[in-house]
Amino acid sequence: MSTRTKYIILALLILIPSFVNLGVPIYNRNDPELFGLPFFYWFQTIWLFVCTGFYFAYSKIMEKKS
Amino acid sequence: MISTDVIIVFVALFVVFIGLGFYGKYWRRGDLNHVHEWSLAGRKLGTALVFFLIGADLYTAYSFVAIPSGVFAKGSLYFFAIPYVMLTFAVALVTMPKLWTLSREKGYITASDFVKDKFNSKTLAIMIAITGIVAELPYIALQIVGMQSVLTVMLAGYANSQMVQEISLLIAFIILAAFTYTSGLRGATLTAIFKDILVWITVIAVIVIVPISIGGFGNAFKAASSSYVTLPENLVPAYATLILGSALALYLYPHAINGVLSAQSAHKLRSSTALLPLYGVGLAILALMGILVYAVPDAMKFLSGFPESSRGILVVPSLILYSLPGWFSGVALLGIFVGGLVPAAIMAMAQANLLTRNIVKEIKPSLSDKSEIKITKLSSTIFKFVALGFVFSVPATYAISLQLLGGILIVQILPAVLFGLYTKVLKKTPLITGLSVGIASGILMMEMANNFGQLTSSLLKTPLGPLYIAVISLGINLAISFGGSMIQRRCDKKSTP
Repeated sequence: MSTRTKYIILALLILIPSFVNLGVPIYNRNDPELFGLPFFYWFQTIWLFVCTGFYFAYSKIMEKKS
Repeated sequence: MISTDVIIVFVALFVVFIGLGFYGKYWRRGDLNHVHEWSLAGRKLGTALVFFLIGADLYTAYSFVAIPSGVFAKGSLYFFAIPYVMLTFAVALVTMPKLWTLSREKGYITASDFVKDKFNSKTLAIMIAITGIVAELPYIALQIVGMQSVLTVMLAGYANSQMVQEISLLIAFIILAAFTYTSGLRGATLTAIFKDILVWITVIAVIVIVPISIGGFGNAFKAASSSYVTLPENLVPAYATLILGSALALYLYPHAINGVLSAQSAHKLRSSTALLPLYGVGLAILALMGILVYAVPDAMKFLSGFPESSRGILVVPSLILYSLPGWFSGVALLGIFVGGLVPAAIMAMAQANLLTRNIVKEIKPSLSDKSEIKITKLSSTIFKFVALGFVFSVPATYAISLQLLGGILIVQILPAVLFGLYTKVLKKTPLITGLSVGIASGILMMEMANNFGQLTSSLLKTPLGPLYIAVISLGINLAISFGGSMIQRRCDKKSTP
């Protein structure tokens, strides 16, 4: 992997979750519900796990770099 | 009135908590007469410990009191806390390892140390230290409000409950002051782990037991109103700016930077930061309690006995008391109680570092190491009691208001601290101006948004919709800092042909 691709991947690993977090209309809806929980609430909660995945990948790639 | 087994469990666990706090002194021994040993635990904390310590900064009474209380009163808007914590770790992942590396090389203990060195400006460094100390005070007060809410619920119905509550808080604070004085950050880290175990057990129990007993989340949303189901369209800009502003502010708080600098290596700091969004799951459950409580009639009946303005802060403890088995609510209530106590200790410690290193030492540079640590320890004790006195003298709702203002103040140090890590274009005079104008405009807008009355909202109505004032005032600050630096550079070029 070239250094440039690496930087692009690193940037995406930070920017994608941030874009979703700030893009409120993406998740501001009621359906589909999960266990009676509106989409708005369960999506953001599950997104916490996805974010952790993105961030963990970022930290692993940074570790290899140095 | 609550049964005695709740109180017995609560007190017994508090004794364990005290023991851990004092034991901290012997844990990973270091010479506690050095500032970095006392306040940064010798910069030796690994991935897991930094995770717990910074987690303790996040899982404060802010999550137990302010957020569920907001969700209870206003609905979905206050769920912004969840995306906010996700975004804040993105900010931290990019910026904090860099600050850690520089601090290790040059021996910085506070953000102010860095700013003084980088911009060669005592004035800017002192201003940043003062902003940090001031913004931290209402944050500590909020922790005490959280502890108070637990005691209020536990003592409801007993005679002299107000007096018993104040005496209990005072005792708790004397104990806390004693063990932070002797153990420093080590004591705080050990108790943070203990607190986290209790809190996690609590949130898991609540999220399993309550939805089952009320027949699913759906019933809670039916019992609450429609602004609880999704975010009303007009609040979308407010939600997005609250996420952004809070995410940028968190890692500027002195206690957060203190936690960062106690990591053993930049890599360990990075991996624990990457895992921290998992903490948000507990926060999400606590926030949902503000809605779940609507479907628990006993808890609602209990809450209705209090004035409307103070119901919110009692939501979590009363939901716990009325939905979990007796002895177990003792465990949960203690978790919340020390959940305010541990962060209060870390915050007061961070304030003390700023006061000694960046204010007292600036005025009296001949300060010996021995006097430095002495002043740090003493002032950390004083800050705790100042916050306690504050809570005793003003109504709880004020503490929450001032915490909103604290976020707007602390975010103003962002240009110097975070951009200062990466760019060489910033100059000290525009930064000082930007910081001052940012703070002044933030306070002014806050007053305007609340019609110069009690502070209850941190959103300003603009043509774009309601926006979080921290973001607007930071925008002004950034424009001055960068714009001014560019103008200054051009002038400098002209004068030196």
